[in-house]
Amino acid sequence: MNTGKNVLGLIALAAYFASPGAFAQSPADGCITLTSIAEIEQQVVNEKGEKSSKLVPASTVVPGVEVIWTVTANNVCKKPSDKVTINNAVPAHMTYVANSATGPGSDIVYSLDGKTFGADGQLTVSENGATRKARADEYKHIRWVFRDSLQPGATAFARFRAVLN
Amino acid sequence: MEARPGLEDSEEFINVFSVRVSATAGSIALVCALASAPAHAVGVAAGTSINSTASVDYSVGSVAATAASPTVSVTVAEILDVVVTAPAAAVPVAPGSTAQVLRYRLTNTGNGPEAFSLVLDNAIAGDNFDPVAATPSIYLDTDASGTLTAADTIYNGSNDPVLAADAFINVFIVNDMPAPLVDGNIGRSSLAAQARTGFGAPGTPFANMGVGNTYAVVGNTGAAATGVGEYLVAGVTVSAVKTQAVLDQFATDRPLPGARITYTIVVSATGTGSALNTVFNDDIPANTAYVAGSMRLNSIAISDGADADAGVYETTPVPRVRVALGTLTQAGGSQTIEFAVTIN
Repeated sequence: MNTGKNVLGLIALAAYFASPGAFAQSPADGCITLTSIAEIEQQVVNEKGEKSSKLVPASTVVPGVEVIWTVTANNVCKKPSDKVTINNAVPAHMTYVANSATGPGSDIVYSLDGKTFGADGQLTVSENGATRKARADEYKHIRWVFRDSLQPGATAFARFRAVLN
Repeated sequence: MEARPGLEDSEEFINVFSVRVSATAGSIALVCALASAPAHAVGVAAGTSINSTASVDYSVGSVAATAASPTVSVTVAEILDVVVTAPAAAVPVAPGSTAQVLRYRLTNTGNGPEAFSLVLDNAIAGDNFDPVAATPSIYLDTDASGTLTAADTIYNGSNDPVLAADAFINVFIVNDMPAPLVDGNIGRSSLAAQARTGFGAPGTPFANMGVGNTYAVVGNTGAAATGVGEYLVAGVTVSAVKTQAVLDQFATDRPLPGARITYTIVVSATGTGSALNTVFNDDIPANTAYVAGSMRLNSIAISDGADADAGVYETTPVPRVRVALGTLTQAGGSQTIEFAVTIN
């Protein structure tokens, strides 16, 4: 049966991606696994009365709270990965927090529309016939461009903060 | 919104990194029926899922590849906030008057539906008198008319108004005034509202009490609010001062038969209130006859007939002049009425 075959094919394809590296079709596929987590900062006071903050997983948040999004890229292949670029949209209903994007070893660019990217302070907005600099809270997309290759077994981090509207 | 980067930077990145555009996902799924609700005062509707997916582009050797992270979801918890708006101006009342209405507005400034309990308090420090709560004393503006009508619901302590995020309802407080009050006295009456889910210090959490079993968290208002309304005793006293001038047929001021007496009456209001539907009446004195067409209001002649102007001369039950002066206030100044009679 034609339909049944197709379904089986899809399952097989899914299995490929589910076990990255081992059954990779090309040398590149599945070499990097990507995870993303959402956390919030929690103030804790220790027995000495000292205040510090720690990150705790965010499952529910209220408007006005800053969520810290951390993306982790891990090279699971035996060869280095080059030209590693991590992309993350600022989630809907959230506002990017200025200067919060970090990523060791990366250059960070931003975009308002997901098409045109530029460094912080370089994007412009046309408004009422005039052109002005885009504000950080208008950034909708963030891109981390890693300068060096990601070596086998190595991990790259990208992080940003956004406030729930 | 149109955007383009600074040219130099854009070129630099294109040259060095051959940046590709990849679709990054950040989508929104509403899990409750609040999709059509208007913009929210304190933010995204409770129960909303905030989703994020990262992607990565890379190459191994000369082969390019891409991968995406699993989607991470965060659920918007419920914020409990409420605002009570008191009447903008004091309601003028007369001493001893009953069923005087103050209109408050209760607004759910949280991001989810919430019920609010209501409490009336008339014992407020700093005023001149305490209004007395009528029975019943709290009404909900069920028909949204803005005024207390027969269709409105009596609040009995258990039928809390339930408001969607950003929705409001008018609440009416009904009080009676004590009798011995002085003009200018102020009496205050407050309406307090509290979120039924809970209230307290901002940030206080209530587990599983929010929309979709999320947390409910007390917002900046403490999820409780009080509006204070005012009654102002607006007394008014209307006084009339009458003077007369006699002119006889010999051009002197002797009150001889046939002499003409012109009366001038100055009517004025004093106090903070308004005298409504004020009507001046004056009977024609015995042994005199009204001079037809002699009536004047503020130096302008008014006719004797019952017509559009303010004045009328009547013969029953007794001969008299009547002038309708309408609403008189101290600020509005005095009204001057003139009419004449002849001595029989």
